[in-house]
Amino acid sequence: MSVPALEAVNLAKSFGGVRAAHDVSFSVPGGSLAALIGPNGAGKTTLFNLVTRLYEPDAGEMRFYGRPLAGLPAARIAALGLVRTFQAARIFPGMTTLENVLAGAHLHVRASAWRQMLWLPGARGEERELVRRADALLDLTGLLPFRDAAATDLPMGAQKLLEVVRALMARPRVVLLDEPAAGLNDAETAELGSLLRAVRASGVTVVVVEHNMSLVMGVADQVIVLDTGAVVAAGTPAEIQKNPRVIEAYVGKEAA
Amino acid sequence: MEQAVQTVIGGLLQGTVFGVVALGFALVFRVTGAINLSQGAFCIVGALAMYSFQVSLGWPGWAAAAAAVGVTAAAGAVIGATTFVPALSRLPVSSMLILTAGLLTTLEGLSLVVWGSQPYALPPFSGEAPVSVLGVRLPTQGFWIVGAAAAIIAGVWFLLMRTALGRALRACAENPTAARLMGIDVPRMTLFAFTLAALIAGIGGIAVAPILSFQFDTGRLFTIAGFSAVAIGGLGSLVGSVAGGELLGVAEQLAAGYISSLFANGIALALLILTLLVRPSGLLTAKRTRREDVRDEHRIYHPVVRLRGRRAVVFGLGAVAALAVLPWIVPPGLMNSVVITGILFISVLGLDVLMGYCGQVSLGQAGFMAVGGYTAAILATNHGWPPLAGIAAGLVLSLACAVALSLVTMRLRGHYLALATLAFGLLVESLAVGMTETTGGPSGLVGVPSFSVGPFDFGTPLAMYYLVAAVIVVLVLVLLGGLRSGFGRALQAVRTDQTAAAALGINVPRYKMAAFAASAAAASLSGSLYAFHLNFLSPDMVGLARSLEMIAMLVVGGEGTLVGSLFGVALLTLLPTIFQPLALYKTFAEGLLLVLAVRYLPGGIFGVFAQRVLNPSARPARSAA
Repeated sequence: MSVPALEAVNLAKSFGGVRAAHDVSFSVPGGSLAALIGPNGAGKTTLFNLVTRLYEPDAGEMRFYGRPLAGLPAARIAALGLVRTFQAARIFPGMTTLENVLAGAHLHVRASAWRQMLWLPGARGEERELVRRADALLDLTGLLPFRDAAATDLPMGAQKLLEVVRALMARPRVVLLDEPAAGLNDAETAELGSLLRAVRASGVTVVVVEHNMSLVMGVADQVIVLDTGAVVAAGTPAEIQKNPRVIEAYVGKEAA
Repeated sequence: MEQAVQTVIGGLLQGTVFGVVALGFALVFRVTGAINLSQGAFCIVGALAMYSFQVSLGWPGWAAAAAAVGVTAAAGAVIGATTFVPALSRLPVSSMLILTAGLLTTLEGLSLVVWGSQPYALPPFSGEAPVSVLGVRLPTQGFWIVGAAAAIIAGVWFLLMRTALGRALRACAENPTAARLMGIDVPRMTLFAFTLAALIAGIGGIAVAPILSFQFDTGRLFTIAGFSAVAIGGLGSLVGSVAGGELLGVAEQLAAGYISSLFANGIALALLILTLLVRPSGLLTAKRTRREDVRDEHRIYHPVVRLRGRRAVVFGLGAVAALAVLPWIVPPGLMNSVVITGILFISVLGLDVLMGYCGQVSLGQAGFMAVGGYTAAILATNHGWPPLAGIAAGLVLSLACAVALSLVTMRLRGHYLALATLAFGLLVESLAVGMTETTGGPSGLVGVPSFSVGPFDFGTPLAMYYLVAAVIVVLVLVLLGGLRSGFGRALQAVRTDQTAAAALGINVPRYKMAAFAASAAAASLSGSLYAFHLNFLSPDMVGLARSLEMIAMLVVGGEGTLVGSLFGVALLTLLPTIFQPLALYKTFAEGLLLVLAVRYLPGGIFGVFAQRVLNPSARPARSAA
């Protein structure tokens, strides 16, 4: 069996008396699309923050292609190929849409600052290549008309999409998307769905936190259900839809 | 032994005043999350007003003191209501720091206009004769200082802990949003805290005035001491700020008494760096410090204007052509000032990389001008080095200082870089004043040779002009190349959102350090050219006033635009030269323009220019919190 792209082993984290995650284990095979779902406060975002080391876990371990992530700073984790987006779109204000996307390619800028400063042909050529890739991604997601606008002028849905595009510019091996469909209308959500499929088809492993059930059930290979900081179920969308514990977590006991 | 006791007592008295200023800092910081650099200026406004009432108008001491405190508090209320409080809800914390730097300059400039530049002294409240206690002679004014401080501390404690108003203030400090939801009028509480801090500073200034000679710009010393005391004691901790003040006062007096007065200022930096290294949160940490980083600008607000392709080339060529013909248009008498404009612009270019692009506030840019300027000038004047080698030596020394400072501060969050650069600038300034043998002391270093490379001498303003213009063109091109590529994008990402930047693999500390080194190098080069151009360098040419002036130039011209600050530099350098009678109002105007630009013109003059003239289709970027 091959090494999973992302693996959580008995992760635990408490804030004061609140157990935001306890004994969370799951594994995401390379090249698949996994969705983390669960009611508000189930610990989905906490899990993302543990993975990308915004939080230090109290116990347990995260592994990225078998490599423990403990002790690595956020920038190193990104350099390994694990890139995330944030629940509230954190695009960079004061920069255009294109510049935001290009900032995502930071890890792939090979020319040193010195060569950029001296306008050396290598550095300029690399820059043109990055712009070409950025334009292609913007075109794919329908953001091209906003290319040179200030990124903060974009509508909320476009900003969320922009953040996904920016993360993809980093050419991650695994991308973690925190509620990418929040604030998107139905058409935009459908577009996001096909974008996610395309990303997976290109070999990138996707882990997505999402509330939108039709999106999740439509695209995910594996659904992991969290409730009150613990994994209550994991399986294919079809299995999850029939799982009584999932229905209980979402609808409540009486209904189940 | 007796001398040691006297020194310690002197230090405690001085420290008491520092502590009082620091208390005002802590109060405003707790309630608003902003550092108020104008705090120290209120001390001097109080003292100068006291002088006017007591000495000029001949009022009795108690009436003069009451009126002076009233004037200071009123000034605080007016400034708070018109600038500080309305700005607080719109500007990021770092812009507030710049705004209050502008307020400090404005108050100093206003004091200069009203009271002139001469030093003042006040008679002690209870006569000159010291009191002898157990063989130790104590100045009677000491009792007034300690008494006033005790009254202030007791009053503030009672207000915060025992009254409904104090509860409301503390609620604002803990969580302004929740406080607002509870029906607390947060802007009014903020104004109250700001005014109260001004009043406290006024009382402190009046109490200490009789044992000190003061003038329009003495306030900045109180600001620096108070700011340092707060950082040493624990940012936001009221007890800590008083303790930090006492520690600083005693340390400074001991250093002045036993080592050299030269190091009295240096000791503040040493204590500060020691604190940052050992206990970054200060000796007595406030329960929690909220609103952290240097420039977490989710609330950025300035036009995003980009010149691309043909338009950029046309604009660039036009600018170079204008530079080439300028000497034939400018009247010869103005040529010197035009060269100085260019030299200062080099330094401000560096400041723009640091502040405008990377979002780190530096209050000590002139300190690096001093390092570069003095190193090059001393080596060329006294040791016969070629000017170019002198410039290189200055660059090496400046870069070493920049790396050392950023190693200490870069992993810390908060206003620490601003604080460290402030202390650094002050240290360099006091070294330049104190090391008379090498630097020529306060009257400056004379006989600096003109700049020359081999047989080519740049002794005339015209030759120097073309040299500086060439340096600027090269520097702008180099910086533009970097800033329009991955390097610049990484800096801007760090400026606006460090967490998101790190999540994209950007090594945040490394980019902060690179920006700081770049700004130090530009300042160093600028300082060297300055000395070679004027054949002279004195501490006040590259002191704190210059640092603050360059911030004003940058913000008024337009930060984050690279070339925009030229508008600010030209405006603030050439106008006072052309209209000599305005020179008196220069400081005041600088401060006022800075405050107005921060409040109403976030893109600076260049922002307006770029939007209206160069790129009419661009819209300003607006984003809510």
